[in-house]
Amino acid sequence: MNRSMRRVIPALLLATSVATATTYAQAPAGRGQGAGRGAAPAQPAAPAEPLSALAPENLAKPRPKAPFDLTGNWFIAGGVQGWLFGRTPNVLPKLTPAAQKHFDAYAAATKENKVYRDDIGKCWPAGMPVMMTRVWPIAMIQLPTAIYMISEFMDSLRTIYLDGRPHTDPDVVVRTFNGESVGHWEGDTLVVETKNFTDLDKHWVDQGIPASKDFRMIERYKLINNNTLEGEWTLIDPQNWEGEWKGTRRWNRVTDHDIQEVECLPDLNEHLQSTSSSVHVR
Amino acid sequence: MKRLLIASTLVVMFIAPVFAHHSPAAFEASKSITLTGTVKEFRWQNPHTWIEVNVPNEKGEQVLWAFELTSPTYLVRAGWKSNTLKPGDKVTISGRPLKSGEPGSAIFTSVTLADGRTLGERPARLGGEAK
Repeated sequence: MNRSMRRVIPALLLATSVATATTYAQAPAGRGQGAGRGAAPAQPAAPAEPLSALAPENLAKPRPKAPFDLTGNWFIAGGVQGWLFGRTPNVLPKLTPAAQKHFDAYAAATKENKVYRDDIGKCWPAGMPVMMTRVWPIAMIQLPTAIYMISEFMDSLRTIYLDGRPHTDPDVVVRTFNGESVGHWEGDTLVVETKNFTDLDKHWVDQGIPASKDFRMIERYKLINNNTLEGEWTLIDPQNWEGEWKGTRRWNRVTDHDIQEVECLPDLNEHLQSTSSSVHVR
Repeated sequence: MKRLLIASTLVVMFIAPVFAHHSPAAFEASKSITLTGTVKEFRWQNPHTWIEVNVPNEKGEQVLWAFELTSPTYLVRAGWKSNTLKPGDKVTISGRPLKSGEPGSAIFTSVTLADGRTLGERPARLGGEAK
């Protein structure tokens, strides 16, 4: 390569990268572009991206003071019963035939001392609502624009947006096990609607009771006192049960524990027969 | 009634850690087994710690048993450390067996070490009781 080529190639590369970068940085197409010969055809203006919940401009927007602050570590009250949403003290709803098949298979497996479709045990995410009720602490960080919840188990993240945004278009949203939560304040109550759940058949509301992609939750939270949080839940999933399935749960504040990194690793199940043995029914 | 309540509480305490990761349906909450053997591996990790112990059966063959414990968070509060057990240690260990009667797996309840100390585990529960 001669000297002149050595000078030209870097210059070309620089020009190309500047042109590429300009494509992302410039004003929306059609604005400020020359109409002269060789100009790119006008593109429809892209919708403005909403501010993120952590954007300083969003955090600084004037809002009424929240009636309570959930920032802290919380742990499901009531021990064992707290993990199974559908058992005591709640009553099971009338299941659809599709869900009833799963529930009957679960009941039959239990009679035979077997475990039916324990996908959580196989390290699939628990998802909502079990993420909130399993026997692991949840760290909650409340900002004016969102509440971030991290379950210690599998570091499962749940975000409740409080900045007035709507739920994402279902044709665009990436469906998840914890769903998409949008909340607002009604007097002394935090009201949250969660939807846009995964369509994978690994998401369970309870043992033997599946959650479909149409699963939806309405949660109404109150701080009973500084150390006790109460949530009234309404669960809706027309694919799996009729009408509304209601229940109430409480969480206690934890002040002597910080959540840690807790992974569900493949070697865990290799060493634990309770998740890898023949007692598991798929 | 009081005795029944205490018994129920104990069962709940013993079962509680299982819920942290998987269904407890396969285990017999009302039964206990005690075995003497040699530690093969002690894994100090989240979400479960486990102890693998080689236990001789009546034919003199070594049978590997895996005992599931709760997470280190609760074990530390019950006096455990990451070096409490090491391969080769002789232990007497108790737990809740599989309902099926198959050997090899149990939910841990307590262990007696070679130096005579007995360790259990604290229930997987944090915070005060529900108000």
